[in-house]
Amino acid sequence: MYAKKTTIINRTGLHARTANEFVKAAKSFSSEITVKKLDERGETVKSGSAKSVVHVVTMILNKGTPVELTAQGPDEREAVENLVSLIEEGFNDL
Amino acid sequence: MIFQAPPVSPGIALGKAFVFIPFRPVITERFLTKEELPRNLEHYREVLDKAAGELSLIIKGLGESGENEKAAIFEAHLEILNDEELGKDILTLITGQNFAPDYAVETVYEKFIDMVSAADDQYLMERAADFRDVKNRILRLWLGVEHRNLSEIKEPSVVFAHELFPSNTAVMDRTKVLGLVTEVGGLTCHSAIIARSYGIPALLGISNVMDAIRDNDQVILDALEGRLIIGPAKGQIEEYEARRRAFLQEAAETEKFRGVKGVTRDGKTVEVCLNIGSTNDDELEGAAWTDGVGLFRSEFLFMAGQDLPSEERQFRAYKKAAEVFGSRQVILRTLDIGGDKTLPCLELPREDNPFLGVRALRLCFTRQDLFKTQLRAALRASVWGNLAIMLPMVGSLEDLRRAKAIIRECREELDEQGLEYNPDIKVGIMIEIPAIALIADLIVEEVDFASIGTNDLCQYLLAVDRQNPELNEYYQSFHPAMFRLIYVASQAFLKAGKPLSVCGEMGGDPRAAMVFLGLGIRKLSMSASSVAGIKRMVTRLDLKDAEGIANRVLSLATAAEVESYLQEEEKKRRNPEDQGVHS
Repeated sequence: MYAKKTTIINRTGLHARTANEFVKAAKSFSSEITVKKLDERGETVKSGSAKSVVHVVTMILNKGTPVELTAQGPDEREAVENLVSLIEEGFNDL
Repeated sequence: MIFQAPPVSPGIALGKAFVFIPFRPVITERFLTKEELPRNLEHYREVLDKAAGELSLIIKGLGESGENEKAAIFEAHLEILNDEELGKDILTLITGQNFAPDYAVETVYEKFIDMVSAADDQYLMERAADFRDVKNRILRLWLGVEHRNLSEIKEPSVVFAHELFPSNTAVMDRTKVLGLVTEVGGLTCHSAIIARSYGIPALLGISNVMDAIRDNDQVILDALEGRLIIGPAKGQIEEYEARRRAFLQEAAETEKFRGVKGVTRDGKTVEVCLNIGSTNDDELEGAAWTDGVGLFRSEFLFMAGQDLPSEERQFRAYKKAAEVFGSRQVILRTLDIGGDKTLPCLELPREDNPFLGVRALRLCFTRQDLFKTQLRAALRASVWGNLAIMLPMVGSLEDLRRAKAIIRECREELDEQGLEYNPDIKVGIMIEIPAIALIADLIVEEVDFASIGTNDLCQYLLAVDRQNPELNEYYQSFHPAMFRLIYVASQAFLKAGKPLSVCGEMGGDPRAAMVFLGLGIRKLSMSASSVAGIKRMVTRLDLKDAEGIANRVLSLATAAEVESYLQEEEKKRRNPEDQGVHS
């Protein structure tokens, strides 16, 4: 298993177009990928599949929300690193 | 019967009503026996396939007609329909807890809709509408109900609905939609945006209109004055038919002027600039036909999130605008917020008179950290184009000097850090407090330029709260005192040879603009929708005449006199050939 924390920085959060782009990227990996929504102390508030747009959207990941991505599978490291950088690049929505 | 509502998309429509009542599923709690399960599961799978088939067809159709933005809505629907987790949840209810498929679909979708709706966020509200759309599609196919679609309008009609969802408007055959009326909605909702982008006249937010309207009722929709007439008299039909033709002809005629240069009949150049409130692509599109940005409102950066925008983020936004306009000037107005507007990222004390309170520059003085972050970002962005800084709510020379001292501090900090900025960056002020207009001759010595914010200038000059609808009759933009005050300011700037512009709403009103040009102002800034109308007036105006018009206005006694005089002068120039002016 591979895990990494980051923070949502783009303006509109992972709600509309951004959620679709994120899920599309997640689906290109074969590992099982989980998104965890964290609170200020780093505790998990909610979690869901990174490959489900419904999960991603309903977790309500606004700008500024800390998240943790975990993956389990053959391309787990690549998947997490890739998705974290996608989030940190801000989806052209800064 | 007459209804009134503020127009959200201008125009006039006459025709028959098409009453759109979308499919509303009624799903009851129902469980399956063991024997019913296989057949129900099979039917459920067929329904999902059919739904996917319908969506693919719509996407294909929209793709072929090049409507990619709308196709994206349905691609998102397909994504939801095929969502693994959501599908799993539904199947678990059916196979594990014996839920009937329609009841399972309803239960699972509603659960997610509730989660999203709770967030009170515009984007998530749209997602809730998407979820509901997909759910209704599945349930409609499950129940085998025919549905009345906006793609099935037979003859051109005015569409009435309680509310329109993206999926409703996307399949709408817009050649058959003369106008739109809804019970729910406002200026910024989905229906309003669609209506404006297609040029469909629309009135939204008329509650209970669905009780009053029947299919095929004759209606007049006046989305200029904000009036809906159901069952008009014959005379009214003729009257509005004429108004509609006149409106369309005028709009088409005006639109032709959008791309022309702002040069008067006697060859003098007038800069026609844009007011922008963000760096979205559709706002920056105006760069193609304007001479710069006369007012770049920076508040959008502060509205978005829970945190104050970082210097880096502001820098990127300012740089983007500066780059798009290249050598043309982009005037960035520093933060203009006050006690009446709350920002999610900034807690402000409540005030009894917010408009006369700790607003704009005054707030920036009490929160210098915030001010300096913005100034540093602006200074750094200034090397990427022709960026200028404009200070709002300057009321005295002390205000100006204090702000300039802070700008100096920021420059020194950047020097120390070895960060680049344009050392010749222009610094100007908004003229919106009457006091500053009266001492324009003193202030002009210490600024590079100024811009008149007519909205606030009017409210402060006439002591009228412009947000109070009760006071509409007192909020007189054409009050003679407005023009006399602007005259005083313009004289000072003319004499000093420094640029003065107008960036309030009056800057985009051709009638007022004639006077400004007559007073020697050569730069007007406005929202994108006013550009064509202003250029139309400019290209047909002689500056000599403008001076005469300005002089005349300075001698008139009431707002009504000024307005009707300017109305007349503007009309004469709108179609000079017809009127025989300047032959």
